[in-house]
Amino acid sequence: MSIVIQHELIDRFRQVVGDDGLLHDPEELFVYECDGYVVEKKVPDVVLFPTSTEQIVRIVKLCNEFDVPFVPRGAGTSLAGGCLAVGGGVMIALTRMNQILEVNRRDRYAIVEPGLVNVHLTQRLKGTGYHYAPDPSSQGACTIGGNVATNSGGPHTLKYGVTVNHVLGMEVVMPDGSVVELGGPAEDSPGYDLTGLFVGHEGTFGIVTKVIVRITRDPAAYRTMLGVFETVADATQSISNIIGAGIVPAALEMMDQGIIEALEAAFQFGFPLDAGAVLLIEVDGLDVSVEDEARQIVELCERAGAREVRRADSDQERQLLWKCRKQAFGAIGRLSPSYCTQDGVVPRTKLPEILEFITESGARHDIRIVNVFHAGDGNIHPILLFDERDAEQIERVMKASDEILDKCLQLGGSVTGEHGIGVEKINFMDKLFQPNDLDVMASVRTAFNPDGRCSPHKMLPTAGACGMESIERSHPGKQAAS
Amino acid sequence: MSTATIETSDEFVPATPSELSRFVAECSEQQLPMSPIGGRTSLNYGFPLDRDCQRVSTAKLTDVVDYPSRDMTITVEAGIRMDDLAHTLGTENQRLPVDIAQSHRATLGGAIATNTSGPRRFSCGTLRDYVIGISAVDAYGRLFSAGGRVVKNVAGYDLCKLLVGSLGTLAIITQVTLKLRPRAETSALVWQTFASYEDIDQLLGELLTSEARPTAVEVVDPRAAALIASEARVDLPIDRPVLCLGVEGTEREIQWQSQKLKHESESFKPIEVIELAGESADPLWQVLTEFETSSDEPLTFKANLPPSQTIEFCQTATTAGIAIQAHAANGIVIGHLPDDVSSIEQAAKTIDPLRQIARIGRGNLTILQCEAAWKEILPVFGDPEPSWPLMRKLKAQLDPHHLLNPGQFIHGAVADTAPAAS
Repeated sequence: MSIVIQHELIDRFRQVVGDDGLLHDPEELFVYECDGYVVEKKVPDVVLFPTSTEQIVRIVKLCNEFDVPFVPRGAGTSLAGGCLAVGGGVMIALTRMNQILEVNRRDRYAIVEPGLVNVHLTQRLKGTGYHYAPDPSSQGACTIGGNVATNSGGPHTLKYGVTVNHVLGMEVVMPDGSVVELGGPAEDSPGYDLTGLFVGHEGTFGIVTKVIVRITRDPAAYRTMLGVFETVADATQSISNIIGAGIVPAALEMMDQGIIEALEAAFQFGFPLDAGAVLLIEVDGLDVSVEDEARQIVELCERAGAREVRRADSDQERQLLWKCRKQAFGAIGRLSPSYCTQDGVVPRTKLPEILEFITESGARHDIRIVNVFHAGDGNIHPILLFDERDAEQIERVMKASDEILDKCLQLGGSVTGEHGIGVEKINFMDKLFQPNDLDVMASVRTAFNPDGRCSPHKMLPTAGACGMESIERSHPGKQAAS
Repeated sequence: MSTATIETSDEFVPATPSELSRFVAECSEQQLPMSPIGGRTSLNYGFPLDRDCQRVSTAKLTDVVDYPSRDMTITVEAGIRMDDLAHTLGTENQRLPVDIAQSHRATLGGAIATNTSGPRRFSCGTLRDYVIGISAVDAYGRLFSAGGRVVKNVAGYDLCKLLVGSLGTLAIITQVTLKLRPRAETSALVWQTFASYEDIDQLLGELLTSEARPTAVEVVDPRAAALIASEARVDLPIDRPVLCLGVEGTEREIQWQSQKLKHESESFKPIEVIELAGESADPLWQVLTEFETSSDEPLTFKANLPPSQTIEFCQTATTAGIAIQAHAANGIVIGHLPDDVSSIEQAAKTIDPLRQIARIGRGNLTILQCEAAWKEILPVFGDPEPSWPLMRKLKAQLDPHHLLNPGQFIHGAVADTAPAAS
């Protein structure tokens, strides 16, 4: 462990958060050794559970006084090691700050604490005619603060946009312990759009303690369909047809044969086990138009060779279909003890190429890969199945993952659509960006987090701090930070 | 303080981003301040420049770099005129659904730097929602990029958001990748006058759960209504406060929504109702977009408020003789002060109470245009926001010598750190 937390500091933290707001026992800390990205692990030295902005300010000031790094954490659902406490130090868990502070329907916003679970906001809004649009698949667990940190997406972002399109402002405890308000309930606050810049900062600009989010009018009507295809190529052709016809569905998700099998075993929805791929397509909008759009989509799918297009006519059926999609990752336990999912993006017309490459790459490295992803956005989620206990398999998983992401870049895409860089993809930053780009990003970071104490070794390859250059590597060939 | 007065002939007009990058690097070395120029539609925005500047024009950076229409994205150079961009997108039946005034002159880079928007922002959002990739030259001459060419991407800091509305004070934008939308088949505008603003306010409350999904929710006072009707050359009722609702979509959607909106308005007793559909609505959309620049009145402001305070604000503004247009559901109000406001004191007296209303809801009031001399006294960017010190830190990091549009934005920042203004 590179950071030695002094007893005096622990005592001072205890004065801030009380006995039940602090974990220091090595066995209790074990839970916090990683997030949804299980390939790398690092136990923080202490985990704190503040309940107010004021407590966070005191914690951050103590970290400055004692020269230790700190990292915020929401629900720990990051799939990229976003909340990994690289190099140890203090983890500030925000799960006890989970209140909805205000819902203002007239002005279409809500003010929430960062530890609020995403779906709890939409549940609260039920019956008002409004909802919170970003709906990551982990929305039953992930927090809005975490969503802000990673600019989370979800199936419905195709039409409604990602987190940043729904954040009006926030309160942030800066790395020096000062508190600043960005934006506000009124749009177009004069000056630079720091709210927009802070969304997706992956915890490197400070700790978000309040979020003002835009709430979105519920669609008047939905039509949800399941297109069944013999091959992945036919399914991707349908996507191209739909977008080409000027239809922007609310969601357009693809699942391949491997994942269908696991889902069917878990939920018995009635997915065809012999299909090459299925598309989950949802259109929403006015009562007068959704039916026309749905009919048009059915035609376009059939033209691309769909075996059949089923309609989820009842709300119950629709809910079940979405449950299958959103819990797809959970169903993977039936296929393999561990998995690692990638988050590459390609222009959507390049989907056939990247999917073919994924298949080849899996075969080459003898790793089973299944796919469930946001096809309409070109945001792939190949899920690489492996056994965590087998170091050699991990090695092959890493190689296949890296190859797939390299291919996404080659096709004009990105290495992450919604999961973030975290520690997992930090080595891709200098493939994705030129030195100038990274220099400017580093300057921006320096303006807010000059000594890198807040979330060190995240996002930027050069984002070290506090003499923490030597970090233990959990796995050979994969660095937690460079 | 003196206003920069450099002739057009002194402009540097690079043919490529790398030429621009080299030039800025040279200026930077000599600590020569620079001012980026696009379509010259907003040169008086913000505070006057506090030093003479080398003007740098994007007039030759107009290429369409890549237009994969099936991916619904386009990459273009920042000097492209908005009309040219719209024309290119029109060939594929697509659009960037953000209203930009003076689109025959305005450039994409300029629109982004000033974060321009219009009536469609209610349903379509603003430029921040469409810029997915950006390249720019910073004050050191470094050509940098952020974002990418795919619609979903969270790699690296979102510098696209940072540059939208940055007024050319952080970097000179050279290239932009945009997310696009299909072009709407048709549109309609329902123009209704009401006995009072209170009626409109109540109706706006009801519209929050309308069965229709309006694209635009505009409120204008009789003065603005007269200007708009005359510019659009449409015979419209203009003697009362107006609520003008816009819808877009297929023919069937338009008809259904207009009917629905008219029906939902009925209980608030509109006095006169005019509906313009299809092509006949186009001039009115256009004028509603141009309103903020269509005046040579003494001062034009933009207020940002919570939508629920918009009508109270409009009422106060109307009483003060101000012609106003509100993107009411967004809480954005554009106001032109009347001609008889001829002194700085009168101007301050007119806008101060309005700014106070805006401040109650944590909004603000920004001056879009007025005489340069007035800007020495009037709060051009409104009351200081709590985040301004952070913005100054960022400016100091990216442009420590204040070489890009010096003095144009949050004046105090410059006064704190830059050489004394001449």
